[in-house]
Amino acid sequence: MSPRFRQASADARWTAASAATLLALWSLASFALPAAVLPSPLRVLAAMGALVQTKALWTDTAVTLGRILMAFAIGMSAALALGTAMALSRSAGAFFRVWIVCGITVPAIVTLLTVYMVVGMNERGAVLGAALTVVPFLAINIREGLKSIDPRLLKMAQVFRASRAQIARAVVGPQIAPMLLASARFGLGLVWKMVLFVELLGRGDGVGFRIEYYFQLFDMTNVLAYALCFVLVMLVIEVGVFGVLERRIFRWRRG
Amino acid sequence: MEQIQIYGLSKSFDSGGVRRTVLSDVDLRIAVGEVVGLVGPSGCGKSTLLNIVAGLDLAHTGSVTIQGRPIGEQLGAGFRVAYVFQEPRLLPWFTLTQNLAFVLEAGGFARSEWAGRIATVLEAVNLAEFRDFYPAQLSGGMQQRAAIARAFCIDPDILLLDEPFSALDELTARTLRQSLLALWERFRTTVVFVSHNAYEAAFLADRILVMGRGAITQEIDLCGTPRPRSYDDTAVFEASKQVIHCLERQAGKDAAATSPSPTPRKP
Repeated sequence: MSPRFRQASADARWTAASAATLLALWSLASFALPAAVLPSPLRVLAAMGALVQTKALWTDTAVTLGRILMAFAIGMSAALALGTAMALSRSAGAFFRVWIVCGITVPAIVTLLTVYMVVGMNERGAVLGAALTVVPFLAINIREGLKSIDPRLLKMAQVFRASRAQIARAVVGPQIAPMLLASARFGLGLVWKMVLFVELLGRGDGVGFRIEYYFQLFDMTNVLAYALCFVLVMLVIEVGVFGVLERRIFRWRRG
Repeated sequence: MEQIQIYGLSKSFDSGGVRRTVLSDVDLRIAVGEVVGLVGPSGCGKSTLLNIVAGLDLAHTGSVTIQGRPIGEQLGAGFRVAYVFQEPRLLPWFTLTQNLAFVLEAGGFARSEWAGRIATVLEAVNLAEFRDFYPAQLSGGMQQRAAIARAFCIDPDILLLDEPFSALDELTARTLRQSLLALWERFRTTVVFVSHNAYEAAFLADRILVMGRGAITQEIDLCGTPRPRSYDDTAVFEASKQVIHCLERQAGKDAAATSPSPTPRKP
C-alpha cells in the first residue's frame, strides 16, 4: 500500500467519523426536543424521500440554481473588474477601498432590502441583490491574488521576448488560477446563501421561498428536508465541478 | 567583429529625493563570441548594465548598439538575448521540456524544430532523462542546469548571466561552470556575466572588467590563458588574485572617501 493511499484512506475514515458524530448529536438533540421543533434525522430522511417524488422540489431547485448562476456570474465579473483595477492602479485602489469597506460592513439584509426597493421586488432585484452582497469579498480576494504574482517570472518571460498572450497563458494564468478557483468556490458558497435569503424575503418560488413557507406552517421536518435536498445539489457541484477543476489546476504540484 | 558597443552610458534615479548615480559614462566594446565578466561590490552597477544590454531597461543616457543598431531596434528584428538569473526561474507548472518549449515559442522557432533543440541542450547538460520532470522534483543544481539549457536552446546572439552560480555550493557550481563552458564551446555565443567571485570570473572569462561606483575601473585580459582551463591553473589563480587586489584597492578608496577625516583627540 503506497503512503499516499494510506493517507487518503485515513482521511476518509476521519470524514466518516465526523459525519457519524454529527448525525449522532442531531439524533440525541431530537430525543430531547419535541419532534415539531427538531425532527430526528430518520424522519427528515423519510420526508426527503417523499419530496424527491414531487415536482415542486425539482422546479424550485431549478429556479434557485438559475438565480444562483446569474448572481454568481454578475458578482464574479464585477469583482474581477474591480479587483484587477485595484491591483493594477494605485489610485483605483485608493478610490475603491472605501466602497469595499462599506460593502463588507453593511449587513447583507440592508443591501438586499435597498436593492429590492430601488429595482423592485422582481427577478432582477433578487439576482442583483444577491450578486451585490458578494462583490466586496471577492474583489479583495482577487486583488490580493493578483498582487502576489511573481515579478521574477514575469521578467524572465520578458527577457526571452514572450508575447503578451504567451505571458498571460503560461506565466500569469497558472499563478492566478488557484486564487480564481478559491474565489469562485467562496463566491458560489456565499451567493447561494444570499439567493435563499432573497427568495425568502420577496419571491414566490425557489428553495428559499419553500423553506419560508414550511416554516410558516411550523413544519420543521420539511424545512430541513428541503434544505438538505438543496445542500446535496450544491455538494454535487462542489465535488463534481470544483473538485475536478482543482485536480487539473494542481496537477503539477502532485508531481 | 564588435557585437556590443556602449558609449557614454549613464543612468541615475531618484531615491527618496536623493539623486543616485548607478552608471556614469561607461564605454565598453564586446566582440562576437567573447566571454566578459563584470566583477565588483554590490551596488556598483553590474546588474543594471546587464539589464540595459538585455533591453529590459531603456531609461538611460548614452548609446548602446548591437551590431551597429540601437538595442531596441535590434531586439525587434529577431535578435535573441538569453538570460540566466541567480535563481533558476523555471515555470513550476511546466516540465523541463515545456519550460524549454516556452522560450522556443517566445523566440519564434518553428514547432518542428522544438524537439531537436530541446534534446540537444538537455543532453549537453545531462538532463535528458529528466525532461518530463517538474522543476520541484529536481535539486537546485539541476534546476540551474536546466536554466542554462533553456538559455542555449534558443541559440542566443548574446547570453547574459547574473551571478548564476552564487546560490549553489562550490562543488555543484564547478560542474555547472563546466556545463556552461561546454555549451559555449559548441555555440560560441557572446557571454556577459556578473559575478562577485573573483576565481569564478578568472576561470570563465576572456576579459574581466572590475567595476566600482558605476564605472569600469580596471580591465584584466585573460585571452592568453588557453581553454579548457583547470581550477588548478596558475594563470587563473594569478588573475583572480589581481581581481581581488583591484577590489581591495577600490574598497580602501571608498572607505577613505566616505569616512570623516580623523581628528586628533586630547588624552
